[in-house]
Amino acid sequence: MRRNAVPVALFAALVAVVAVLPAFLTDFRAQQFAYVGIYLIALIGLNVLTGYTGQMSLGHGAFMAVGGYTTAILMTDHGVRDLWTIPIAAVVAGIAGFLFGIPALRLTGLYLALATFAIAVSTPAVLKKFEGFTGGGSGKNLFGLKELTGGIGGVHILGWKLNFNNWLYYLCWTVALVSYVVAWLLLRGQTGRAFRAVRDSETAALSSGVSLARYKTLAFGVSAAYAGVAGSLFAIATTYVNPDTFPVQLSIFLLVGVVVGGLGSLTGLIAGAVFIEFLPLWAQDVSKSPGAPGVIYGVILIAVVFLLPTGAAGLLRRVATLVRGRVGSAP
Amino acid sequence: MKRAVTSAIVVALVVGASALAGSTQSTADPGVTPKSILLGGTVPLSGVASAYSAVAVGANAYFKYVNAKGGVNGRQINYKYLDDTYNPAQTIQLTRQLVEQDKVFAVFNTLGTETNLAIRPYLNQLKVPQLFAASGDTSFGADVATYPYTIGFFPSYQAEGWALGQYLKKSKPKARIAVIAQNDSYGRDLLVGLKRGLGGGSAKVVAAQNYEVTASDVGSQIAKLKSSGADTLAIFATPQFAIQSYVFANKLGWKPFVVTNAVSSASNIMLLASEGGQNKTVVGSVSVVFLKDPTDPKWSKDPAIILYRTIMAKYAKGANAKDVYHVYGMAVAYATVNLFKRLGKNPTRAGLIAAVDSMNIKDDPFLLPGIAIKTGPGDHFPLSQMYFQQYAKTGWKQFGSLVTYKG
Amino acid sequence: MANFFQQVVSGLASGGIYGALALALVLIHRATGVINFAQGEMATFSTYTLWTLTQNHGWSYWPALGATLAISFAGGFGVHQFVIRPVERGSVLRVVIVTIGLLLLLNGAMTWIWSGEVRSVHSPFPTRTIDIAGVAISIQDLGTIGVSIGVVILLGLFFRFTKIGLALRASATNPAEARLVGVRVPLMLGVGWGLATMLGAIAGALTAPTVFLDPNMMQAVLIYAFAAAVLGGIDSPVGAVVGGLLLGVGLNLLGTYVNFVGADLRLPAALTVILAVLLFRPAGLFGKRVVRRV
Repeated sequence: MRRNAVPVALFAALVAVVAVLPAFLTDFRAQQFAYVGIYLIALIGLNVLTGYTGQMSLGHGAFMAVGGYTTAILMTDHGVRDLWTIPIAAVVAGIAGFLFGIPALRLTGLYLALATFAIAVSTPAVLKKFEGFTGGGSGKNLFGLKELTGGIGGVHILGWKLNFNNWLYYLCWTVALVSYVVAWLLLRGQTGRAFRAVRDSETAALSSGVSLARYKTLAFGVSAAYAGVAGSLFAIATTYVNPDTFPVQLSIFLLVGVVVGGLGSLTGLIAGAVFIEFLPLWAQDVSKSPGAPGVIYGVILIAVVFLLPTGAAGLLRRVATLVRGRVGSAP
Repeated sequence: MKRAVTSAIVVALVVGASALAGSTQSTADPGVTPKSILLGGTVPLSGVASAYSAVAVGANAYFKYVNAKGGVNGRQINYKYLDDTYNPAQTIQLTRQLVEQDKVFAVFNTLGTETNLAIRPYLNQLKVPQLFAASGDTSFGADVATYPYTIGFFPSYQAEGWALGQYLKKSKPKARIAVIAQNDSYGRDLLVGLKRGLGGGSAKVVAAQNYEVTASDVGSQIAKLKSSGADTLAIFATPQFAIQSYVFANKLGWKPFVVTNAVSSASNIMLLASEGGQNKTVVGSVSVVFLKDPTDPKWSKDPAIILYRTIMAKYAKGANAKDVYHVYGMAVAYATVNLFKRLGKNPTRAGLIAAVDSMNIKDDPFLLPGIAIKTGPGDHFPLSQMYFQQYAKTGWKQFGSLVTYKG
Repeated sequence: MANFFQQVVSGLASGGIYGALALALVLIHRATGVINFAQGEMATFSTYTLWTLTQNHGWSYWPALGATLAISFAGGFGVHQFVIRPVERGSVLRVVIVTIGLLLLLNGAMTWIWSGEVRSVHSPFPTRTIDIAGVAISIQDLGTIGVSIGVVILLGLFFRFTKIGLALRASATNPAEARLVGVRVPLMLGVGWGLATMLGAIAGALTAPTVFLDPNMMQAVLIYAFAAAVLGGIDSPVGAVVGGLLLGVGLNLLGTYVNFVGADLRLPAALTVILAVLLFRPAGLFGKRVVRRV
C-alpha cells in the first residue's frame, strides 16, 4: 500500500489537472489536447514494446491505421456507434500485432526497425488497393454520421452539455487515463518483470525460465492494441480516414515521441505526446518559408536526443534528485 | 486511498464541466472587422507536394498589393495559410483551427482533392464558405445542391480531358491512344473526360497504365504502353512524372504524338522534358491552357504580366517568378477581390455565397483574353473555358478558338 | 517477347540506381553498424550541389562532379563527427532517431534553398538508344549499370589492397583490436561515412537524369535500396548491386505479368522482399551468416 502511495497520489493529481484543464483553454485548444491524449495512448503502447521489452518499431502508424479503419468501416458500413468500435479496434489491432509478433521473433535491433518500417511504408498502398473495403484513396468521411456521438451540436451527458471539442477532449482523456492505469498495472506485475528481463538480456531471461516467444508476441499484441485504440479515437476525432492520414511519418513521429518522453517510463510520455501534436505547429509559427518547418523539426529532434538522452522522464528524475538533494542537505 | 482517488476524480470532473458551461457563442460573422477580412487555408509547405504551395504565395502577394492600395471597401484582406503536408488529417485539424480559433471569414484556396473533400462536410454544416478549392475534382462544382458553401476554381479535370478528347477526335480521327495516369481521382477524372471527349469517334484508347505517387519512376509503364502499338500518348500526371514519361518514351525510341493536361504542361516543365532540345517527342505536344504563362515572350509587354512581376518582386521575395502556379494564385486572388468588392460594406458569409452563385468576371487579367469566370445557381464551375496550345521548339503556341466545356 | 525483354532492360536500369544507393547503405552499415535513414536525402543534397555548380556557376560536368564528390565526402565525414559520433555508443534507437532527424532537416533545407521545383541534371552519357531485335537499350542505362558494377569492383580493390581500406575494415569489425594496432578508429569511421556519402552522390547523379531532381527524389529510391541491400546481404557490396538489379527486374516483371500487383502494389511487393529475406535468409544472398554474440 505504502509503496504505491506516491504514484497513486501523482496519478490523482494528473486526473485532476486533466479534468479541469479545459476550463483554462480556448475551445479549440481543448481539441488539440484531445489529440495529445490520443498520441499518449499510442505512445504508452509503443513504450510497452520499445521501452520495456526492447523491440524497436517504426511501424506503429500501421497499427493505428488498423484501428482507425476498423472504426471507420464499422461506422459507415455496419451502423455501429463510434464508442462501441473502440474496443473492437483494440481487439482487431491487437490480433494484427500478435500475428506480426510471431515472425518478428526472428528479428532484432535494426532488422526489426527495417521490417516494421516496411510495414508502415506499405500500409497506404495496401489500403488504397482494396477500394471496395476501405474506400480507396477517397477514404471514409465520418462527419455528420448518426453513429458519431459528438457533432457540431455538442453532446449531452448527465444533464451537462459538452461542445464537440470538449466532448472529444474528455472522451480521449478518459480512454487515455484508463489505458495508463491498465499499462501501469500490467508493467508493475510479473508480466512487466518478464518484459524487462527480455529487454535487458534475452539469454538471462531464457535461463531464468522466461519464454521469449510468449512475452515478445504478447508485447507486440498489447502494444498494437493500444495503437488500435489510438487509431480508433483518431478516426473519431478527425471524422475522416484515408490512406494518407496514416503516412509513414506518423510511425516515425510515434517513435520520436517515445524517445522524447523517455524509454521505459510512463509519466514522460505526456511530454512526448505534446511534442508530436504541437511541435509541427510551433515550427510553422517560426517560419512559413517552404521547407522551413522541416528544418526546425529536424534540428529540435536531434537536439533533444543530444541534450536529453533519457528523454523528458530522465530530466524529471534528474530534477527530482536535485531537489531532494538540496532539501536533504539543508541544515 | 482508492476512495479518495475516486472522489478526487469526481470533484475534478464537476469543476471542469461547470467551468465550461459559461461559454457562449457570438452570432455575427467571424473574420470581419471594420478594417480587415481574414481568409485562411492549407497548402503543403513541406513534403512531396510542396511545389504547389506557390498558389498560396502568389495569392498572398496579390492581396498584399491590394492592401497597399487601400484594400477592398476600406478593409485589408489577410490570408493565413498553414502547412498540412498534404495529409487530410492535418488539413482537417488545421482547418478547424482556422475556423474555430483564428475565426476566418472563409476557407480559401486549400490545395488538393482529398484534402478539400475531407473538410467539405464540416465547412458546409458550419456554413463557412469553402472558397475556390484548388482542385479540379468534378465534385466540387457538381455537388452544389448538397454542399452549397463549396466552390472550386480551375477547369475540372474532366473538362480538360474532354477538351483533349475532342481535339483528338477531330484532328487525329484514327489515333490509337495510350494513357499514363496517376492512380487517384485526378488521373481517373482526366481519363473519364478524355473518353467522353472522344465520343463515338474512331480514335480509341487502346492501353492505359497507372502509376503511384510513391513510385520512383514510370519506365516500366511507358515500355508497356509502347508495346501496345499506340501512336498517341496521353500524359495525365503530375509534373515530375510527366517529364519522366517524355524521357522514357525517348529512351525507348518511341515517338508518339503527345497530349498532356494543364497541371504538368507549364513551360519550365516542358523545357526540362525536352532535355536541352534532344527529346524530339516534346515538340508538337498538345495541351490546354487558361493562364498567362509568365515565361511566354508573347506576354512580356502585357500589363498584367508586368504587374505580376512587380508584385512578385515586392511581396514574394525569393520566389521564382517564372513559376506559373504563382500566376494561378494571383488569378484566384483577383476573383476573390472582385467578389469582396461586390459584397459592399457589410460582408457576410451568406452574402458571399450568394455572390459566388452569380459571378461573371470577364476581366481577370491573369487569365487568357476571352476567358470568363462565370457561375450560376447550381453551377459552381467558375472556369470552363480554355484554349489549345501546341509546343513548338521555342515554347507553347496557342491555337484555335476558345473551347467551352458543357458538363 | 520483345515486351518481356524490354521490361527486363528497363528493370536493370532502375535496378542499377537502387543498387548504387544500396551500396552507400551497405558501406555505412559496415563501417558503423547503422542503417542511415537519411542516406537518400544526403544523396539528393549532393545532387543539388552538382546542379548548382553546373547550372548556377557554369562549371562543366566532370569538374563539377569531382567537386561534388569531394564536398560530399567532407559532408559525410562532418555528419559523422558532429551528429552521429555523440550518440554512436548509445542504443541503436537513438542513432536511428538522429538519422531520421537528419532526414527531416535535410529535406526541409533542400526545399528551403532550392524550392520544390523539378530540376534537370544532364547525364554524362549520350541519350542515344540502340535497337536490338525490337528491344530499345539506351546508352544512358548501360552507363548506369556499368557505373554501379565499376564502383563495386573499385570498392573491393580498395578494401583489399589499400592501407586505408584495411584500416576501415578493421575499425568496423573489431574496433578494440584496431585501436591496439594503431588505427585511429573514429577517424576511420568518419572516412567510412564520407565514402558512403560519395557513393550516394554517384547514385544521385545517376538517378537525376531519368527521375529528375526535386527534394524528394531519392525517397522512393531509398526504400527500394533498403530492399536491395537486405536482399543482397546488408554487409555485402556485391550483394547490394546484384540485389538492386534483381529487384528492379523482378518488380517490373511482377508488375507486367501479375495483374493483381500492377503498378499499385509495386512498393509493398518490394517490402515483402525485405520481410521474406529477413525471416528466411537474414544474411541475404551474399552476406556471411553472423553468429549472434550473447
